[in-house]
Amino acid sequence: MNIIETKNLTKTYADFTAVSHLNLHVPKGSVYGFVGPHGAGKSTTMKMFLGLTRPTDGTFVIDRKSYPHNRVKILKEIGSFIESPAFYGNLTGEENLDIIRRILGLPKSSVSDALELVGLTQYRKRLAKKYSLGMKQRLGLAGALIGRPPILILDEPTNGLDPVGIHEIRTLIRSLPEQFDCTVFVSSHLLSEIELMADNIGILNHGRLLFEGTLEDLKEKAAVQGYPTDNLEDTFLALIEDDNIRRGEKR
Amino acid sequence: MSFKKMNFLLEWKKIKRTGFFAAFLAGGILAGAFPVINTAVRTEMFISSPGSPAAILMSANYQTMAMLSLLLLTAGACILYHIEYADNGIQKMQSLPIRESGLFFGKFFLLLPAFFLMFCIQCAAMIFCGLHWLDPAAASEGELFHCLELVRCFGFAFLLTLPAALLLLFLSSLCRNMWIMLGIGILGIFLGTMLPSDSFAASLFPFAMPFQTLPGMEEDLVIRYIIAAVSETAFIGIIEIICIRIRRLFA
Repeated sequence: MNIIETKNLTKTYADFTAVSHLNLHVPKGSVYGFVGPHGAGKSTTMKMFLGLTRPTDGTFVIDRKSYPHNRVKILKEIGSFIESPAFYGNLTGEENLDIIRRILGLPKSSVSDALELVGLTQYRKRLAKKYSLGMKQRLGLAGALIGRPPILILDEPTNGLDPVGIHEIRTLIRSLPEQFDCTVFVSSHLLSEIELMADNIGILNHGRLLFEGTLEDLKEKAAVQGYPTDNLEDTFLALIEDDNIRRGEKR
Repeated sequence: MSFKKMNFLLEWKKIKRTGFFAAFLAGGILAGAFPVINTAVRTEMFISSPGSPAAILMSANYQTMAMLSLLLLTAGACILYHIEYADNGIQKMQSLPIRESGLFFGKFFLLLPAFFLMFCIQCAAMIFCGLHWLDPAAASEGELFHCLELVRCFGFAFLLTLPAALLLLFLSSLCRNMWIMLGIGILGIFLGTMLPSDSFAASLFPFAMPFQTLPGMEEDLVIRYIIAAVSETAFIGIIEIICIRIRRLFA
């Protein structure tokens, strides 16, 4: 069963198409890696799921609820982290999470639970504006994870983290479906990162979905089409390059 | 917990360490100090003036006090939305299951007690001036007639300031840059002071209305001002709701 499904989802800004006729299928209980170069339309797609951006055309369904009629109901089920961390700099990490906790109607213990999960417990009393980039990123993740929502939408969650932090967050994301019975929709511009945590992947370029399936499916497709298969990063780059050539946009 | 109460509590939590209430308290004391100093310095002139103590005090001091109140309201409105835009906290709020209109009215219901506190300080200062310098005989006899007249004057002024408060908050919600909002607010206030005071239509401008004073005003005009203030407040509230919907449509 797919927990997120899009049908011809499109977003255009004046004469620029950010997302074009996107048909995604995110299976329930999986980690879905959404990969693409910068400007491919990953964040725009995620923003559409959260109602931060309105689709120009097409529809999407999240846990059988359609947008825009069920916007608030959809948001109740989603924990999200989009682009840069969003927080209140005048509040501590703990106070920031307490605001989210109150909105979601969660017990007080959920704040310490989320802080523990991302390793911010010892910095909980520090003002969020004084956090380092990595700590802000962790706070954003804690804000998404608080209350253990059934769906997590994470936009490049390892940005700004050091190698140890990247490893920790990656391990955490990988373990989430099993631990909390949730679905994770995570984006990155690095296939090498996504392949370490995702069950299914979708590759996006210039707003168009080039591939959707498992990593094994991608390897098979790459072999059939003559792309390199030894290294998935090379496969990804070849796929993108080929698409750019076809679109006549090679520089 | 009711929806409105929750929004108010959330906004209350968010303004920690912003100096919001301290600013209103300091502003209220500053505005309250003005009539005290003015009356202390020009006591003889005030005593020899015709009219009730309340009328004398209001005509001699209220224009400056209203100006200070509006400047403080501008600063307050700036603070309330600056915390949302400074570190993108508003994006987190928009991705949570709450209505943006609730956020706006939560802020308005936080602004109300702050400027009510300011008006109370100003009113108390005026009452002190009346009892201490202009009508000490009434004070010794426990005569509260002039006090009640002043309370009525400030109640009327509070009502006439509501549209300006809501308009400032509305403008603040539109400006991501606090300095732009501050500039617009100050321009609006100065425009309000420049409009002809003898024209009823011109005095309905939200930034001009707070400069109208109750003493000497005909009952018919008082009612017209009250209706205008309530209507303008409701109108600006509706405009904000429409604006939120439009922004969502074009996001």
